[in-house]
Amino acid sequence: MSDSMILLLAKGAWETIVMTFVSGFFGFLIGLPTGVLLFMTRKGQVLEHKTFHHTISIIVNIFRSIPFIILIVWMIPFTRALVGTSIGVEAAIVPLSIGAAPFIARLIENSLIEVPGGLVEAARAMGATPFQIVYKVLLPEALPSILNSASVTLITLVGYSAMGGAVGAGGLGQIGYQYGYVGYDVVVMNTVLLLLIALVFIIQFLGDFIAKRVDHR
Amino acid sequence: MIELRNITKTFFQKTRAITALSEVSLTVPEGKIFGVIGSSGAGKSTLIRCVNLLEKPSSGAVIVDGQNLMDLSPKELAKARRHIGMIFQHFNLLSSRTVFENVAFSLELDHTPKAEIEKRVTELLALVGLDEKHHDYPVNLSGGQKQRVAIARTLASNPKVLLCDEATSALDPATTKSILALLKDINKRLNITILLITHEMEVVKDICDEVAVISEGRLIEQGAVSEIFSHPKTELAKAFIASALSLDIPADYKERLVSAPATNKRPLLKLEFTGQSVDDPVLSEVARLFQIDSNVISARMDYAGGIKFGVMLIEVFGTQENSLQAIEFYKSKNIKVEVIGYV
Repeated sequence: MSDSMILLLAKGAWETIVMTFVSGFFGFLIGLPTGVLLFMTRKGQVLEHKTFHHTISIIVNIFRSIPFIILIVWMIPFTRALVGTSIGVEAAIVPLSIGAAPFIARLIENSLIEVPGGLVEAARAMGATPFQIVYKVLLPEALPSILNSASVTLITLVGYSAMGGAVGAGGLGQIGYQYGYVGYDVVVMNTVLLLLIALVFIIQFLGDFIAKRVDHR
Repeated sequence: MIELRNITKTFFQKTRAITALSEVSLTVPEGKIFGVIGSSGAGKSTLIRCVNLLEKPSSGAVIVDGQNLMDLSPKELAKARRHIGMIFQHFNLLSSRTVFENVAFSLELDHTPKAEIEKRVTELLALVGLDEKHHDYPVNLSGGQKQRVAIARTLASNPKVLLCDEATSALDPATTKSILALLKDINKRLNITILLITHEMEVVKDICDEVAVISEGRLIEQGAVSEIFSHPKTELAKAFIASALSLDIPADYKERLVSAPATNKRPLLKLEFTGQSVDDPVLSEVARLFQIDSNVISARMDYAGGIKFGVMLIEVFGTQENSLQAIEFYKSKNIKVEVIGYV
């Protein structure tokens, strides 16, 4: 493999990492509050609200049912308005974040459902406000499970970003597509695969490690 | 201190309405320990959760410390709840927090300064006997220790009232005793009014001043503990009292037991002492009057609210005629006699 190819792969790996983590960050920024709202407005919960719950739930489901490759194309006008371009890493981060957010919202909702109801009840009995219940009880208690969701999300995003590579998002996906799928360069294709595998393993390992550290159950 | 007036609670399941509580009224005077006893599904959990409005009654008034909680806004209610402590069957400690942080929880809700939290939590953990456990996580504690943490946590906000939702039901008998002793101590020392619900008559007997029996959402009997124990009016109250005194026949006696009299077999009697029984030394009287020897196999006698009650299993040695006379004698003393069989 030539030096320039190694450089290209390093750049691609870096772009993939940036896309994964930055869109993961924005995905959580949108998905976390949405998931909390989904949970809090559920039947029997502190802020029970049927209409509100159903409305968010439907929006989440709609976005979850759009195939990612179509979401990228579908969102081009919005992406262009937001970051000024529809190709490259920055442009890819927009649909990646939007694609991840509803997924994260559901994972968060499920993590919160696992928190024993008695804890919320005890907090209510002590006079906690709904906001205090969320940030002093629900989120800390669900943290190990939320961290597991985070690794699942980031790994999904590695896959999504590679898919985005095929339509001009950059990163390892684009290299794999151009040199592997189009050019059929076995060495480059396999190197891309190995790099992606390594990235997934690292994320999973770190996720498990941190989740274990904060788990006192 | 706590007054429930005509509390009714109806749940709706699909189209069906289920009445969990109907027209429940009770008053707990300041400084007293009031127990509500009932079987599972009787509505006792709903009842206690109505006192701090975790469950909002469909109608009625909930008055705690002179304040009708039903009239309060959510914000005022949250504030009122800080003076109503509550402990639970499954402790409900936060697993992500250490013992110290759990107790600090209710103080944090009030934005108490750090230094004051430190002082108050240390004080409370000493009170419940957990000085050594500040930095342990709940997962490493025993059931009794967890309930102690929960008690410390709820005392942190200086409640005037403490609600105990089956607080000892998940604990073993020895631990139950120690937690009950702690509750009694808190009641006396801090003058905290306690309302507790339980399905164990033992708990009522040990610490309550007053008791109410709940069945199918209604309070069917209430009064001072001594009154209920000596003159239970309803079958359910009698059953609960009996359950506090259940007695099993030992296995080797059971094997030898026959239902009809036979030679070389002696009657096995169960004597039941209630509040109405005459408090006389009956066993020795029977021995003297009828030349009867009694072998006590097992017995469970207790003393609550100034009266003696219990059950006793005895094997009777004597002629058949004398034995019958002895049985009549016991009955004349208002002692319930049951001939279990012959051994």
